[in-house]
Amino acid sequence: MLRFVGKRLALLPLVMLGVTVLLFALLQFLTPEMRAALYVKDPRQLAALEAIIQKHHLRDPLPIQYWSWLKQVLVGDLGYSETAKMPVADAIRAFFPATLELTFAAFFPILFIGVWLGTKSAVHKDKFVDHFSRFVAITGYSLPSFVLGLLLLMIFYGKMKMFAPGRYSLDVDLLVHSDEFRHVTGLLLVDSVLNWKWSVFWDVAKHLVLPSATLVYISMALLLRITRSSMLEELGKDYVRTARAKGLSERAVINKHARANALIPVVTLSSLLFVGLLGGVVITETVFDYPGIGRWGVNAAQQLDIPGVLGSALLSSLLFVVANMLADVAYALVDPRIRVQ
Amino acid sequence: MRALLLLCALSLAGAQVKNPDTFTYLTIGDPDSLDPAWSYDSTSHHIIANVYEFLLAYKPGSLKELEPRIAAKVPARANGLISADGRSYTFPIRKGVKFHDGKDLTADDVRYSLLRFMLYDRDGGPSPLLLEPVLGVLSTRDAQGKPLDGLYAKAEKAVRVEGDKVVVTLTRPFAPFLGILASYGAIVSKDWVAANGGWDGTEAAWVKHSNPRKQDSPLHERENGSGPYALERLDRRSKETILARFDGYWRGPAPLKRVVIKLVDEFATRKLMLQAGDADVIYAPQMMYGQLSEVPGVELIDGLENLESPTTLFFTYKINPVGNPNIGSGRLDGEGIPPDFFDDRDVRLGFASSIDYDAYIRDVMRGKGHRAHGYLAKGLVGYDEKNPSYAFDLKKAEEHFKKAWGGKLWEKGFTCTLMFNDNQPNILTLTNMIKKNIESLNPKFKLDIRTVQWSTYLEQTQGHKIPVFIGMWMGDYPDAHNFAFNLLHSQGYFAGKSSFANKDFDALIDQAVGELDGAKREKLYRKLDRLAFDFAPSIPIAGGFRFRTQRKWVKGFKFSPVFPDSPYGSYFFDLKKQG
Repeated sequence: MLRFVGKRLALLPLVMLGVTVLLFALLQFLTPEMRAALYVKDPRQLAALEAIIQKHHLRDPLPIQYWSWLKQVLVGDLGYSETAKMPVADAIRAFFPATLELTFAAFFPILFIGVWLGTKSAVHKDKFVDHFSRFVAITGYSLPSFVLGLLLLMIFYGKMKMFAPGRYSLDVDLLVHSDEFRHVTGLLLVDSVLNWKWSVFWDVAKHLVLPSATLVYISMALLLRITRSSMLEELGKDYVRTARAKGLSERAVINKHARANALIPVVTLSSLLFVGLLGGVVITETVFDYPGIGRWGVNAAQQLDIPGVLGSALLSSLLFVVANMLADVAYALVDPRIRVQ
Repeated sequence: MRALLLLCALSLAGAQVKNPDTFTYLTIGDPDSLDPAWSYDSTSHHIIANVYEFLLAYKPGSLKELEPRIAAKVPARANGLISADGRSYTFPIRKGVKFHDGKDLTADDVRYSLLRFMLYDRDGGPSPLLLEPVLGVLSTRDAQGKPLDGLYAKAEKAVRVEGDKVVVTLTRPFAPFLGILASYGAIVSKDWVAANGGWDGTEAAWVKHSNPRKQDSPLHERENGSGPYALERLDRRSKETILARFDGYWRGPAPLKRVVIKLVDEFATRKLMLQAGDADVIYAPQMMYGQLSEVPGVELIDGLENLESPTTLFFTYKINPVGNPNIGSGRLDGEGIPPDFFDDRDVRLGFASSIDYDAYIRDVMRGKGHRAHGYLAKGLVGYDEKNPSYAFDLKKAEEHFKKAWGGKLWEKGFTCTLMFNDNQPNILTLTNMIKKNIESLNPKFKLDIRTVQWSTYLEQTQGHKIPVFIGMWMGDYPDAHNFAFNLLHSQGYFAGKSSFANKDFDALIDQAVGELDGAKREKLYRKLDRLAFDFAPSIPIAGGFRFRTQRKWVKGFKFSPVFPDSPYGSYFFDLKKQG
């Protein structure tokens, strides 16, 4: 297993390099004037456009631009992101913990509810719970996240004054930026516990409720349906009939036998879902004014912020490779035959 | 008993105001830089105008009257602070002004600030606003990017300290000079900037600190101004700027303790936060007026007109034909237009008569606008509602188009593109109205409407590839010159895009900026307006109003068209929250 993990990790730089080469190749389609849009925010700056192009070496051939970027990266400098208005490495450090927190808040409910409801739905096929889960899946899959997000915000913030947008309230904002609060991990739920500031913990947790509820509802649909179909397939197999004939309890048949075998596609999907959430959920972040990495990545792409785009792409590829590796490890845990192979 | 009831009533009223000491403004931009010599965007400038101070300020609501700030008096010929030749300005510096670090502001700081503003000169930055009148150049570098010879000596001579006064000598009389100093050239602390890695004020070091890379400037996220608020925190992660009241402010502490300026992209979220009282003012585009008018506890202050020119239709006079799909065949054969298509005045007037100005104001702007009377913003010297306007008249349009290009245009027809930057629904409707009217005149006329992203727009503009485009000028400072120069002068911003050059226009604009007699100046701008109306280099269409959305508990707002980010931004010193 260790060898397998080591092999995957060794491939990581190559994958990331490939991603950046691809991105630079795509940039060949843009003229220097178009790429200068990142630095020219105001029409009044147009007279200086050529000087700006020269200053940022936008007229250099892209391979040369790529090589100078790569040289910087090799010495640990990912460049300066004009959209984040800070160095790329700082931007990742600034935005990623918030996204990680939101991902954890959403991912585990997605996993547990999705698998549980998917299993129930398969076991009680064509019964109420199956119809209900189908309704949840269809609405969750087809409802745009901004509609659901705004709806939740209107009800729970606009009407009931319960869950405000943002990452924390004004009082907590001042507290977490004061000298008495130490930032250890960047994850405010964790840091608030380490600082023994429960008011911060509850405030941050409250602010996570609506964005994570939106993500859970939207993202759970696919997992639920995959679990259901996979379970239905397993429940129809001979070994399940044998287990039942042997007199095993229905609970053991479903939980120990059928579900364990149905989890392979669920693990694959979960890893992709996890990476998707970690890469940032732009619309949810925008609607709930949540300062995550997704908004930065999209802004960087829209404004042709090349260091920003490359930085977020590097992070995404890193996450993707790591998540895939974890998924492979999880396969082995779920199905011992994979480990033997 | 009565006193008790009054007390209860007062405490209830007070309880209604959420966060009474904190003012929250939700907007759609985050500040680019808090360095007064770098910033050229309204979001940054809005913060700068609250944490720094300028030598002078415009009186609230006025585009003409100035009041002193760091300068103890407004220079005028009458008080002897402007020399007889109009070139030398003396600014007595106010005593007792402190920077946020507690140090006294001196005349030397003022001199340093003005020099730094000019010499910093980052590409595309605001430095030319002072370079032009003070040193008579638009850049500190030559075409190869090398510093101009003798520039520092010239600058040093032009800005001098005489006791507790600062004297600025211009290269020529420049009427808008004081107006520029009321919006640019914020006063920074020389010692503090030098101690934080900025320019130390010496000749030897100025080139090193000129046109720096953004990440190399120390003032982007720090400040030590003398304004009523000090920067508490600029949080790039949560996109918020927090200002704290400066208790040592020379005019006394501001009523509100803290100000939060936060970027919230989504309008619905901003609206909900305003509704809940978590925001006091939000940015709302004109089309959202209906959605906000019924929100309880919220007031809309309507009919506010900013410092901007009317929306204008521009023509490109020397269109770049190389690989340019916007002019089709590049010939007058019905499938395109020649590169000099708009040299013919009748073509331009044909377009002018095809615009249904009133319908645009009534139906698209929903009545929140007015017909353009020339190029200037309302209220400026030279603006007059009696100035002539073009009229919608399709018969006249037909006559002009029939005369254009010796009748060949009418016979062959034309195809070209009208282009503008995306996310402007009003402009999209306006351009479609123009298209419909022009194409109704002759089936051989074809005007394509194309909306493009900012990056594409830049590229096409720079390459002179857009035959017809829509734009407007947002004023840097409230003076007719800023508009006349950029809209009609061959060296101005729009000339750069449209390659318009006319010696009569240039001469008149150059003459007007050097004229210090107000009445004579006004006459010159009226003459210019008449000339422009007859020549029709571009077609001013309509000026628009904006509205400010704020909680009713916000008191003290004074609209100033000159103030950055107006009317959404505020001079926070004036504001308080009261139920």
